[in-house]
This record gives sequence, structure tokens and C-alpha cells, in this order.
Amino acid sequence: MRPPGSPRTRQASRARYSRKTSVDFTLIVVLVIVLALFFDFTNGFHDTANAMATPIATGAMRPKIAVALAAVLNLVGAFLSTEVAKTISNGLIKEGGGGVQITPTMILAGLVGAIIWNLVTWLFGLPSSSSHALFGGLIGAAIVGAGFASVDYLVLLDKVIFPALLSPVIAGFVAFCSTRLAYAITRRYDRLPDGRAGFRFAQIFSSSLVALAHGTNDAQKTMGVITLVLISAGALAPGSNPPVLVITACALAIAVGTYTGGWRIIRTLGKGLTDVKPAQGFAAETSTAATILASSHLGFALSTTQVASGSVIGSGLGRRGSSVRWGTAGRIGLGWLMTLPASAVVGAMAAFIGLLGVVGVVIDLVVAVGVIVLIFAISKRNQVSARNAFQGVNEVAESGRVVKIRKVKPKKARGQAA
Amino acid sequence: MNGIDWVSFLLVAGAALISSCAVVALYALGLRMLSTAGKAPHVTPAEFTDAITIVTPTEAAAEAKRIKKAAARSPLTPWQKRLALFVAYTCFVICGLVVLFGIYLIVPALHEH
Repeated sequence: MRPPGSPRTRQASRARYSRKTSVDFTLIVVLVIVLALFFDFTNGFHDTANAMATPIATGAMRPKIAVALAAVLNLVGAFLSTEVAKTISNGLIKEGGGGVQITPTMILAGLVGAIIWNLVTWLFGLPSSSSHALFGGLIGAAIVGAGFASVDYLVLLDKVIFPALLSPVIAGFVAFCSTRLAYAITRRYDRLPDGRAGFRFAQIFSSSLVALAHGTNDAQKTMGVITLVLISAGALAPGSNPPVLVITACALAIAVGTYTGGWRIIRTLGKGLTDVKPAQGFAAETSTAATILASSHLGFALSTTQVASGSVIGSGLGRRGSSVRWGTAGRIGLGWLMTLPASAVVGAMAAFIGLLGVVGVVIDLVVAVGVIVLIFAISKRNQVSARNAFQGVNEVAESGRVVKIRKVKPKKARGQAA
Repeated sequence: MNGIDWVSFLLVAGAALISSCAVVALYALGLRMLSTAGKAPHVTPAEFTDAITIVTPTEAAAEAKRIKKAAARSPLTPWQKRLALFVAYTCFVICGLVVLFGIYLIVPALHEH
């Protein structure tokens, strides 16, 4: 029997200890990567509507084909660029000298906040910005982990809050003008067919452009987070690009999420705000694509979700005889206002529990999985899918499905009622 | 850097407004010229999401026929029709080019060396 203080046992216990901590460390890195990929999934899931709600609503594409196309374009888009991949935490949370060391636990807490808020807004069918949810979650976690001073509030105001207020306004105005123009040019007073149904064909291309632009932007946020974690774990050199495996995993996660389709949000954007007609849908998608491309190339970052919602509202205002349901628009606006603080609160709570160490992380995960399962269970009560996304919006449409009301044949030899 | 960069904000708004209106106007003009030339497109919805207006294939075919018949009553001379068709196809081609430019802007590998 050796005494406990002998050099050999000390060495052995140190070895065991260091092995144990390194296992813990990789475990949390793996957990963060899994959660980041799940966040990517919810991101795709949430944002299918931005590109595909209007073409589905006007019948330009079958719902399943539309989401499949969006999924493929998101997959392709994720491989096209890695430019924005590292902007996610740069600037907003003070890093480096005198700043905070972002720990994997904090990123984990931030992701939990973002995922839960994304699922809650999905449950209510609200299109809300996934990047705001991610920012909010990370900010909440950073405040708990490193105090209020760790967040640069001026940057937050300039980069997140103001753009959020301005993007629907710009997109709405652009869509309003485009819609007016589309109807003015194709309007005929001589009762000959106006060919407006031809806009359906163009919608396929305009919405594809939105989906591709989304893929190049949004998958990169997750790539950025995963790369950040790998760098902080020492698996990658600081400042290195996301590895191919990370890019592939993120691209697949966002594509699968997009294909699954957040049908509740598609319903809100496609029918909830205003009844979209082909010309109007084309105008809305074109203005969404134009606004996003202009913003990403002229350096004033705008959220895809907010641009898309603003476009739909603007096009609803632009078409004669259409009305915008301002109640729904108000609910969406409220959702946007709450996104940042709400996900920050969830992220902060998760970070607070995470301070307990390994036990805290385990509690975090158990609670998060519980909440996610609960949200999916609640969603089963009134399931919205490709089949019924636009039915059951009002009772008249529902009864039409049941009794098969035939369309009354138009008497005039006028074109389609498009 | 404090405050919003209003210059870049206005730049984004202006660029988006001009490009979006240009594309929409071109495509709309193309459709207008097609219908002027007596070839108004007839695109039946792929799916009737609004359960009330369900059109059977027979009804859709009848609608297409009716549109064709109505369009044939165009007062234009054959040359005018040909010109209208030419303008229409030119508009669509320009629209296609703008979409390609959009893809060029989206893919960084194309515009960055």
C-alpha cells in the first residue's frame, strides 16, 4: 500500500483528471454543434415562407415542389459563399483584449434561446427573424456570463434595431411601386385578355432568386457559430475558414429544414396578410430579391424575413381592391419587437443554469428538449401541412371543399380573373 | 461608428426601388405586348390553394380556348403583331439577363477574384 501522496498516484490522478476534463470539453463542443445544426434546421424551416409563400398561394407551383426547389437552392447557396460566416459574433459581443471570452457554454445557452423562440413563433405562425433570435440568445447569454458591459449597445442599435424598423418600410414601398406598375402596364380597358396569369411563370424565377440569396446568407450564420466553437476549443486555428465538413452539415441541415416547411408561416405570409394574385406575388418577390441583394452589396444589412413580410404588405396595398389584414400585420410586428428580448431572456436563463457547470448544461439540455417536444405536441392539435396550408383559413373555403362548389362560368370573354 | 449610415440606407432603398421596378415593368410590358399580339398566356394554377375556385381540366381548356378566341379579335395588322411579339420577347430576354445578373451578385466566386 502506497501512501496517497506518493508521486506515482499523483501523476495518475492528474492524468485521469485531465483526460476527464478534455472529454467534458469535447462533449460540450459536440452538444453545441448538434444544437447549432438544429438551429440551422429551424432557420430553414422558419424561412421557407419568405421565398415560397407567395408562389404557393397563387398556384405558381405545387406546394411540395416549391419547398423542394427552395431546399435545393438553399443547399446550393450554402456552398456558394463563406463570406458572412464569421460576422455572427464579431462586433456585437466585445471580444479579445479587455472583452469577454465566449465560452462554449454561453454559445450553447444562446442557441437554446434562439431555437426555443424560433419554435414559439412558428407555433403562432409568425414570420420572425432567425438571426435576431440568434443575436438575442447570444446577447442574453453574454450578459449573464460576463455582465451588461459585455454587449455593445450602440452596435446593437445600429446593426439590429434600426435595420429591423427600416427594412419592412423599404421593402413595402418598393413592392407597392412595383405592384402599381405591374397592374398599370397590363391593365386593358378593351375587355381582351390581359395575360396577367403569365406572372405565375415568372414567379418561379423570382422566388428561386430569393431562396438562393437566403441560402448564401443564413446557412453561414450556423457555420460561423460552429467555427467559433471549434476555434475556442482549439480544434481550429483562429481566423480559419469553416471546414468543408461543417459547410456540408450546415447546408444539409438548412435544406432539410426548408423542405420540411414551416407551413404555419407559409399560411400567414401567403394568405394571412392579404390575398396574393400572380402579378402581385411576382412584384413582391422581385422587390424582396432586389432589396436583399442591394442591402447585401451596399452594406446595409437587412433581415430576409422582415423584407419579405414588408413586400407582401406593400404589394397588398398596391393592388386595387385588395385589403391588408392589419391585425395580422400588427401581430407580426409585435413578434419582431419581442424576438430580441424574448430570446435574450431564454438565453440568459439557460446561461444562468449553465453556470452550475456540467450539471447545469445537462439541466439546460433536458429542459430545452422538453420544451421542444412540448411545442411539437401542441402543434399536433391543429396540424398545418402542405395539404391544408391554405384551407381552413376561413370557413367558406372549408365548406367549398366539402360541397365542391363549382366556379360560375364568366359571361364575358375576358381573360382570367388573375 | 455611431448612428445609422443614412447614405448607404438611401442607396440601398434607391437601388432596390429602381431594379425591382425595372424588372417588373419589363416583364409586365412583355406580357402586355404578348396580349396585344393576340397571344395572351394562359397559365392554370398548379394547385388550387383557395378551395372555392377549383377548375377542372375541361374548364381550364375551355377557358384557354375562350381567351384564344377573344385575343384573335385583335385590331392589329400582321406586321404590328409581329412587332409587338418582337418587343415582348426582347423584354423577356432582358428580364432573363437581369435574373442572371442577380445570380452573379449572389455568387461571390463570380464577382470576386
